[in-house]
Amino acid sequence: MATGKAPQPTYAEITRDIAATLGNPGKGYYALLTTAVVLFLAGAITVLLEVRYGLGLAGYRTPVFWGVYITTFVFWVGIAHSGTLISAILYLFRSAWRTAVYRTAEAMTVFAVLTAGLFPLIHVGRMWYAYWLIPYPNQRQLWVNFKSPLIWDVFAVSTYLTVSTLFLMVGLIPDIASLRDKATGWRKKLYQATALGWRGTDQQWRHYTKAYMYMAALATPLVLSVHSVVSWDFAMAIVPGWHATIFAPYFVAGAIYSGVAMVITLLVPIRKVFKLERYIHEDHFENLSKLMLLTGMIVAYAYVTEYFIAWYSGNPFEQASFWNRAFGDYWWATWTMLICNGLLPLFLWSRKIRRSIPALFVLSLFVNLGMWFERFVIIVVSLSFEYEPYAMGHYSATWADWLVLSGSFGWFFMWFLLFAKNFPTVSITEVKEVIPMPRKGGAH
Amino acid sequence: MSAHPGGVLAAFLHEDAAVSAIRSLKELGYKDFTVYSPAPNHALMEAVGHKISPVRLWTLVGGLVGVTSGFAMTIWMSLDYPIVVGGKPIPSWIPYVVIGFELTILIGAIATLTGLAVHILLTRKAAAYDPRFTDDQIGVFVPCPTERRGAVEQMLNAAGAVEVRVAA
Amino acid sequence: MTDGMDRRKFLKVLGVTGGGTAALAGCSTDDVAKLIPYMVPVEDQIPGVATYYASTCRGCAAGCGVHVKVREGRAVKLEGNPEAPINRGKLCARSQASLQATYHPDRNRSAMMRQGEGLAPAEWEAALAEVATRLQAAPAGSVWFMHGTQTGSLDALIGEFVTAIGGRRLVFEAFAHEAVRHASRETFGRDEVPLYRFADAQYILSFGADFLETFMSPVEYTRGFADAHGYRDGRMAKYVHIEPRMSGTAMSADEWIAPTPGSEGTLALAMAQVIVERGLGRPPADARSLRAALASFTPDLAAQATDIDAATITRLAQEFAAGPSVALPGGIGTQHADAHRTAAAVNVLNYVAGNIGHTVEYGHGLRQGDGYATLREFTVAAEAGSIQVLLIHDANPVHASPSALNVSGALGHIPFVASFSRFQDETSAWAHVVLPDHDAMEQWNDWQPRAGVQMLLQPAMAPVFDTRQTGDVLLDLSRRMGRTPRQATYKEYVQARWADLQRTLGDRAPFDTFWRNALQRGGVWTEARPATVRLAAGATRVTNPAWAPTEGQLTLIAYPSSTFYDGRDAHVPWLQELPDPVTKMTWGSWVEIHPDTADRFGIMEGDVVQVTSAQGTVAVPAYLYPGLRPDVVAMPLGQGHTAYTRYATGVGVNTWSLLPGEAAVFGGAQHYVSVSLTRTSRHERLAKTEGRNRQLGRGIAQAVTLGGIAHGALDHPFHVAHAAPVPEREEHLLDEVAAAQRRATDYGPYALRNTRWGMTIDLSRCTGCNACVAACSAENNVPYIGAEQVRRGRAMQWIRIERYFEGGEHGEPLETRFVPMLCQHCGNAPCEPVCPVFAAYHTPDGLNGQVYNRCVGTRYCGNNCPYKVRYFNWYDMSEPGAPKFAWPDPMHWMLNPDVTVRSRGVMEKCTFCVQRIRGAQHRAATEGRALVDGEVRTACQQTCPADAITFGNMMDPEAQVTRTAADPRGYRVLEGLNTKPAVTYLMKVRHLEEA
Repeated sequence: MATGKAPQPTYAEITRDIAATLGNPGKGYYALLTTAVVLFLAGAITVLLEVRYGLGLAGYRTPVFWGVYITTFVFWVGIAHSGTLISAILYLFRSAWRTAVYRTAEAMTVFAVLTAGLFPLIHVGRMWYAYWLIPYPNQRQLWVNFKSPLIWDVFAVSTYLTVSTLFLMVGLIPDIASLRDKATGWRKKLYQATALGWRGTDQQWRHYTKAYMYMAALATPLVLSVHSVVSWDFAMAIVPGWHATIFAPYFVAGAIYSGVAMVITLLVPIRKVFKLERYIHEDHFENLSKLMLLTGMIVAYAYVTEYFIAWYSGNPFEQASFWNRAFGDYWWATWTMLICNGLLPLFLWSRKIRRSIPALFVLSLFVNLGMWFERFVIIVVSLSFEYEPYAMGHYSATWADWLVLSGSFGWFFMWFLLFAKNFPTVSITEVKEVIPMPRKGGAH
Repeated sequence: MSAHPGGVLAAFLHEDAAVSAIRSLKELGYKDFTVYSPAPNHALMEAVGHKISPVRLWTLVGGLVGVTSGFAMTIWMSLDYPIVVGGKPIPSWIPYVVIGFELTILIGAIATLTGLAVHILLTRKAAAYDPRFTDDQIGVFVPCPTERRGAVEQMLNAAGAVEVRVAA
Repeated sequence: MTDGMDRRKFLKVLGVTGGGTAALAGCSTDDVAKLIPYMVPVEDQIPGVATYYASTCRGCAAGCGVHVKVREGRAVKLEGNPEAPINRGKLCARSQASLQATYHPDRNRSAMMRQGEGLAPAEWEAALAEVATRLQAAPAGSVWFMHGTQTGSLDALIGEFVTAIGGRRLVFEAFAHEAVRHASRETFGRDEVPLYRFADAQYILSFGADFLETFMSPVEYTRGFADAHGYRDGRMAKYVHIEPRMSGTAMSADEWIAPTPGSEGTLALAMAQVIVERGLGRPPADARSLRAALASFTPDLAAQATDIDAATITRLAQEFAAGPSVALPGGIGTQHADAHRTAAAVNVLNYVAGNIGHTVEYGHGLRQGDGYATLREFTVAAEAGSIQVLLIHDANPVHASPSALNVSGALGHIPFVASFSRFQDETSAWAHVVLPDHDAMEQWNDWQPRAGVQMLLQPAMAPVFDTRQTGDVLLDLSRRMGRTPRQATYKEYVQARWADLQRTLGDRAPFDTFWRNALQRGGVWTEARPATVRLAAGATRVTNPAWAPTEGQLTLIAYPSSTFYDGRDAHVPWLQELPDPVTKMTWGSWVEIHPDTADRFGIMEGDVVQVTSAQGTVAVPAYLYPGLRPDVVAMPLGQGHTAYTRYATGVGVNTWSLLPGEAAVFGGAQHYVSVSLTRTSRHERLAKTEGRNRQLGRGIAQAVTLGGIAHGALDHPFHVAHAAPVPEREEHLLDEVAAAQRRATDYGPYALRNTRWGMTIDLSRCTGCNACVAACSAENNVPYIGAEQVRRGRAMQWIRIERYFEGGEHGEPLETRFVPMLCQHCGNAPCEPVCPVFAAYHTPDGLNGQVYNRCVGTRYCGNNCPYKVRYFNWYDMSEPGAPKFAWPDPMHWMLNPDVTVRSRGVMEKCTFCVQRIRGAQHRAATEGRALVDGEVRTACQQTCPADAITFGNMMDPEAQVTRTAADPRGYRVLEGLNTKPAVTYLMKVRHLEEA
C-alpha cells in the first residue's frame, strides 16, 4: 500500500469505520441534498416548458444549432470517464492506492452518465420521438442510420451506462454483505435483498475475482471508446474546428482530466463529512493530482496542436475559425478555457500543492469550469463562424439554457448524495484486500 | 439459514491458522468443506486449490456474439430498407465498426455476469455461516457425521481456531 | 424552353376559365370553412386539381397580368400571366405576397358605421342609405371624391358619378412623378412619363430612377434591363447609376457615381454640352438649337457643382453618345425642390443623344395621380369648410403624405367621410361610413396600364368577407339618388365598355366570343404607336437644379420602399419579414449612415439616433451603409403606421413626418430635407438577416469583368473538372435504389430513370429583387416569425438573397453582389449521413429529401450544412392557438394544400418545389409520356422577373439547364468541399472600361 505512516486499521475497524459513514450525516448533508433537489426541479420545469412551447426558449439560432445543452452533455460524459479509469484500468495495473477512492469515482461515473444521457433527449426538437433513434421494428418500416455518429452515441452511451452500473453493483456486493451482517431495521432488509446471498465462500470468491477482472478488462477499452465516439459527433462533421483527426485522443484525455478534477471535488467534502481521513489521505490526492497533471498536459498539447495544424494546413476556413476563437466575439470563452486547462494545472508540478487538499479543491473547480468552456468553444464558437459569411451569427444563451445546466448539477448531486448516504463510498472489501490478514507469526 | 448437513463450524482470526487447518482437512480427505473470508485471500485460495474459474469462457463467447450480432444487425438493416445518404455505400462497414465494438463490450459484460451468477449457483454448497465472516474472521465449515465430529473439532482447535462449534 | 410550360398553363386556363366563373357563385366561403363535399360538383372545380384564372395584379399601377391558382374554391397562389404584355409571366415580391392581404385577418369584414368614437359593423342597406342621404343633402361642389390611381371602367364610372353629383375628384398617388411630367411638358409639351425601352439600349444611365424597385413598372423594366445588361455571348449593356445613395437598383450598376445631392441635372447638362459641342451621337436636326442654351454648362463648371471630375463627365458623355443608350430621370433623383430641372436636363440629354422615339417613347399615356399640389388644395378647401362630404377609395393620404401637410387635421373639418377601404388605416379611421371594396381576387374590373393595353380582372373566388365592389356600390348609390344608370351591375358596365372597345378594335366577332377570349388571355392589347415629339420652347430654358442642405446639416433622402411602396403593403407580414434588398432589415425602420459620418457622430450600428428636421424628429436605429455619400443619410418611406392592422401598426417610424409640407415648383412633394443627427443612449440589436456583408475571400459570389472574359479569364478548365453533377459511385447506388423503389411503386416519382434535378442561377441577371423569396414563401407555406425571432437569427425563408460588398475601401469603388442561396441539393450532401433517422436522404432523382415526420430534430444536418440553408421550427407556427401561429383565420385558406405545414421541432428547407416535380411527373405518367424539359418550373424560377433561373434534369444533355450549367461562367459555391451541388451559379459580369 502506498501509505507508510499511521498504523494500519484492522479488518474489524475497517468494517466499523466505513459502516459508520452510513449513520446520520447531520445538517450539512441535508442542506446540500435540498439544494440539489431544488436545482433539479427548476431544470425539470424548464424542460417541460420547452416541451410545451418549443426549443425557441433556449438561445439556439441559425447557424448555431447546438448550444449549452450539447456542451453540457459532453461535459458530463467526460466527467464519467475518470471513474472507470480508476476502477478498471488502475485495477488491471494493480495499483493499490485506487482502493480507497475508486468507489466514489465509480459512483460518480454512473451518475454522470445518467446525467449526460438526459441531454440528447432534452436537446432534440421532438423529444417525445427520441426513441426513434433506437433500431426496433416500427410502423415507419424504417431502421436507423448507422452511419450517423448520433446513433453511435446511442450505442456507446447506453453501453457505458449499463456496464458501469453493473461494474459498480458487482463491486458493492461483498460490502453490502458485510453491512447486512452489521445492520439492523429497514437497512438490514435492504442489504439482505441487495447482497444477493453473498457469504464470501471460497467458490464465490473464486468466480468473483475472475469475473471482476474480466469486467475491468472490458470496461477499459469501453472508456476509451465512449469519448472517442462522442468526439466523432464533431470530427465526422465538416465544420471548421470540428473536422480533425486529433479529436478522439484529445477528447479522451480531456475527459479523464475533467473527471479526475471532479473526483477531487467530490472526495474532499466526503472525506470531511464522513471522517474518512484515515482511509483517504494526502497520498491518494497526490496520485490523483499526478493523473490530473498528466492528462492536463496532454490537453494543453492538443490545444497547441490544433492551432498549429490550423496554421500549417493552409486551409483558410480552418485558419479563420481558429482566429475567430482567439480574437473573435468569443475570445473570453477561449481564454477561460486556455487558462483554466492549460496554465493552472502547471501548479501541480509543485509537490506542496499536490499534497495541499484546499489548493487541490480550488484547482479542481477551475478545471471543471475550464473543461465546460472547452466544449462550449468547440461547439458554439465553431458553429457561429462557419463557411457561409452571410449566414454567420452570434449565439447567446438564455435563462432556459442556464436553468437546465444547473438542473443537471442538481440531478447529479441528488443521486450522488443519496448513494453516499446508503452505500459505502469506500470499498470495505478492497481496503481489506490490500491489508494482509493478521498471522500468528512464525510458521509459513 | 437453509438446512445444511450437520458439521463443524470454525472461526479463525489468523490467516496462517486457517491455512494450516485447511491443509490438514485435505490430508484427512475432506473435500466439500466451505471456507469463508471477508476479502479475497491468496493464501486461502492456494490452500483450497480450486481450478481457474470458467467465467472467462462466458466473457469470450459473449464478446464474439456481440461483435457478430453488431455487424449482422447493421448490415442487414441497411440492406433491408436501402437509403442513400451522402453518396456513401448502402452497407458501409467502416462506420459499423463502432456498433460492432459497443455490442462486443455490452454483451461480453452481461455474459460475464451471467457466468458469474451461474457458476456461483452451480458450486453452491449448503453450509453453516456466521456474520463475523464478512467482518474480520475466516470461517471453515466441515460437514461430517456426528461420530467423526470430535476429531475434526480437535484438529481445528489445534490449528488455532478462535472458536469451534458443532452446527447441527 | 419556357414555351412548353406556358402553353400547358395557357391551355389549362383556356380549358377551365371561359364563363365558368359564373359557377363560382355556387362556391361560397362555407364550402371551405366547413368541409362540405361537392354534392353537386361545381363545374370547373375538381377537388385536388388546381384551376387557374387570368386576372390582373393591383398592387401598383403597372398592371401585371396574373394567373390565380385556385384550389377547392380558394385562391392559393399568384403566378405571372405569360401572355401579359407588361410582365410576361413574371411577378414582383409584393404581388407574390399579396394574397396575405386578400386573406388578411384584419380586413374590413362588412360595412361599418360610426357609433360614438369608433366604427361598428352595420347593414349594407343602412350604410348605403346614410351615404346616399348625405350626398343628396350636400350642396353642389361640396362633395369630393379622393381615390388612388384608377384607369379604365372604374375611372370612367367615378368620373360619371362625380359629374352627376357635381362634385370634384382628386386622384391621390404618393409617387406621382410630378417632376418628370412637368419636365416633359416643358421640354416636349407632353404631360406624361415616357416609356423606356431597355432591351434596345447598350448604355443605361439612371439619374436616381429606381426602375428595378418602384419606378413606374418594375417587373417590366427588370426584364428589359436584364435582357440588355445580362451577359450573352460576349456582349452586354453598360449600366451607370447616378445618385448620392446606392439604391437597390444601383446595386446592379457597373458604375455607381455619387454626385452632390441634387446636382444630377448639372451632370446631365454637362454631358449634353459635350455631346453637342463635339457633335457626338445621332441627334435630331433641331438639337443644334440647344447649342447656345447648353454652351455655358462645361464639364469643368459641372465638376465643381457635382463633385465629379470633368474627365469622368466627358467619358460618360462619350460612352453615352456612342451606342443606343437611355437616360432615366425619376425616383429619388427627381424629388427635391428643384428636381424638375434635373428631369428637364435628362430629357435634353436623351434628345441630343437621339434617344427620343427609340429608347425613350412618349405617347403611352403613362401618368399616375394629379400630383401632390392638388392634395394641398384639398386640405385648404377642407379647412375652409367648403367640403361637406368626402368619399375615399384606395388612398391613405394621412399616412402617405408629409405630416406637415396635416391631412388628418383637414379630415377633421369634413362633416361626413365615407371610405371604400378594405382595411382600417389612418385615413379610414376618420370615416363615418365604411363600404369595404372587394379584393382584386374577388371582383370584376378592368385596367388600362397604358395606351393599347387593356387588362381584365375577374373574380377567382367568392368574396372572403361581406364586401362589395365599389363599382356596384356607386351604381347603387346613384340609383338611390334617383338616377337610373344604364347598367344594373358593374360587371355589365365593364362589359358595355368592352363592347365599345371591340368596335374600336374593329373586331367583327360576336361580343361573347370577344369577351371570353379576353377573359382567357387576361385582356386585349395592341402595340401602341409612339408619338413623335419635338423640342418645346421650354427646352432652351434648361438650367442647373439647386439643392443645398441647411448649413452644417446633412441631406436626408426619403426613398420609397421597394417592399412597401408608399406604405400600402406594410400590413403584409411576409413583406414585413422580407429583408430589404439593400440593408437586409426586416420589421422596422432605420436610418442609413455612412461609416465615416457615423464615426464623426460616434454612432455604432444599432444605436438609436434622433433624426431631426424642421418638420419633426424621429428616433430610429442606425444602419451603417457604405453605399452613401458621407454628407447624405437615407430613410425608407412606408413604415410607422399608427393604425393599419396588427402587422404594421407601431412598426418603425413614419419618415413622411420629417418632410416639408410645401409642394415644389413642379407640384410634387419634396423627399430631400436637411436633418441633424443626435445619438441617444439606447441601442437595438437590428432585426436584419445578414451575418457578414463581406465574403472573406471565399468566392461565394464570383464575378468577372467583360474585358476579363475577352482576355480569357474563363478559358481554364477548372469548372469543367467539377462539372459532373453526380459522383459516379452514387450514380449506380441510386440506380439500385431507384430500381428497388420502382419495384415497390410501379408508377409516379420513380418512373423516370436517372433523373438529376438541377438549377442554374445567372448572377449577371439577378437584381436581388426578392421576388423569388416571396414566391417561395407563398408556394411552400413558409411562415413569418416576427422581429424578435429575426433578431435571434431564426428567419425561415427557404431562399435568401445574400448581399455581399466588394471594395468601397481605400479608394476602390464599392461593388455589390447578390447570390440567391437555397438548398444546393448536393450529390454528396453533408447533411444526409449525419441524420440518425434518415429524415434527410437522397432521392433517386437527385433531390436532397427532407421527411418532416421522420425528423426528431437533432439539428445535426443544420450544423453540417456548409451553405446554412436548413431552417428549424423553434416554435410552433402551424398550431392554431400557439403563441407564434402564423396563419390566423382566414389566412390559413391560402396555404398550399400540396405542401406540408411544418410543425414544431422539425428541420425544413428548400425542396426544389418537389410538389411541382411530382405533380408534373404524375401528369406525365397518366398521359403516358415522359416529362418535357421545362415542364417543371420551381416557384422562384417561375416568378424571377430577370429570368435568372433555369431548372431541369441535369442528366438530359439537351435540357437547357444542362447547357447553361456548362457555361464557362458556371461555378458551384464552396466547390472545394466536394459536396457536388446541383445548383450552378453563372458568374456576375461587370462592364468596366478596361485600362
